[in-house]
Amino acid sequence: METTLTPVLGATAQRISAEEFDAIVRRHQRRVHRFLLMLLRDADEADNLTQECFLKAYQNISNFRAECSLETWLLRIAANLARDHARSRKASFWKWLLGFDDGTDEGLALHVVAPEASPEQTLLAREEVRAVWEVAGKLSHQQRAVFLLRFVEEMELHEIATALGLQIGSVKTHLFRALQTVRGKLRGPR
Amino acid sequence: MNPSENSHDPLVERALVGFDLAAEHHLANCPPCQQERERVQEALQLFGAANREYANRSETFWEQQAARIRDAQQERARRSRLTLTLTPGLAVLMLLAFALLHRAPVPPVPQPTAQIDYDHELLVEVERAMQSGTPMSLQAATLMVEDSDSSRPMNSANSAKESRSHEN
Repeated sequence: METTLTPVLGATAQRISAEEFDAIVRRHQRRVHRFLLMLLRDADEADNLTQECFLKAYQNISNFRAECSLETWLLRIAANLARDHARSRKASFWKWLLGFDDGTDEGLALHVVAPEASPEQTLLAREEVRAVWEVAGKLSHQQRAVFLLRFVEEMELHEIATALGLQIGSVKTHLFRALQTVRGKLRGPR
Repeated sequence: MNPSENSHDPLVERALVGFDLAAEHHLANCPPCQQERERVQEALQLFGAANREYANRSETFWEQQAARIRDAQQERARRSRLTLTLTPGLAVLMLLAFALLHRAPVPPVPQPTAQIDYDHELLVEVERAMQSGTPMSLQAATLMVEDSDSSRPMNSANSAKESRSHEN
């Protein structure tokens, strides 16, 4: 659902009340959290950055010009936070050092919804999802963000471009390369 | 034809990226490529659905998260208000401290005097001492000078002039 800030705040609103802010959080927290969780693959970091994302949004709400939906604007803030987080790499270093594994690929595969599928088909579907997950993890940060926004969030190309601050041509290029990699993995022995 | 090896491969990706007239035209006439697109599309749909399902959390989780965000926002607002309140006070204190530091009396710096003045004064004083009091060793000579002076009174003025000239 497209939600703009205007109905909540009014076109000229510069500041919002705590109640309005709370309403925005409740409306958009699921999507922001999911995007960060899939992008970072770390539940704790996704929680922290979701909180940071909304605090940043509250702080900069006067900069929101309603040129895009509020959700797209929030996802843009989330993508920037995730990019900065990926650059710092501190957390991932310690997790790598301690051999930390959040078991996401196993957990994700168990959530494959294949109604009316035989056990063999379900197993095959899980293998495919696991393969896509694995290869998505090896994509560059930008490619992964584009890929997730397109196929998990099911956003249109122009929305992805706005959310990531890219030209539509760049979004298509990132998506094309990501799909080539994913398809290459899906072709492998099954 | 194995779609994984055909030369039309990029067209499948192009069709998956978004609407592409050339790719759509090709896929309409190439069943293997069409099958390949459907296969990848299905896998991507499953992937998307599994992700959405996996990221799903209980209502309690979302409630707690919203509460945490609200608390953090209120804490930041409180800190911001505190900073706004304290800043003018701190600025006034700093200005006062600055003013006090600059009003403190500066200890007088001793002016260095030229050594040549002391030397000159010393020389003059020595000369005066020499003129006023004659040392014991020269008393005999002084008497002789006085005797000769008394015999030649006209020269006394000249000698006085000479002695005064040393003072300069």
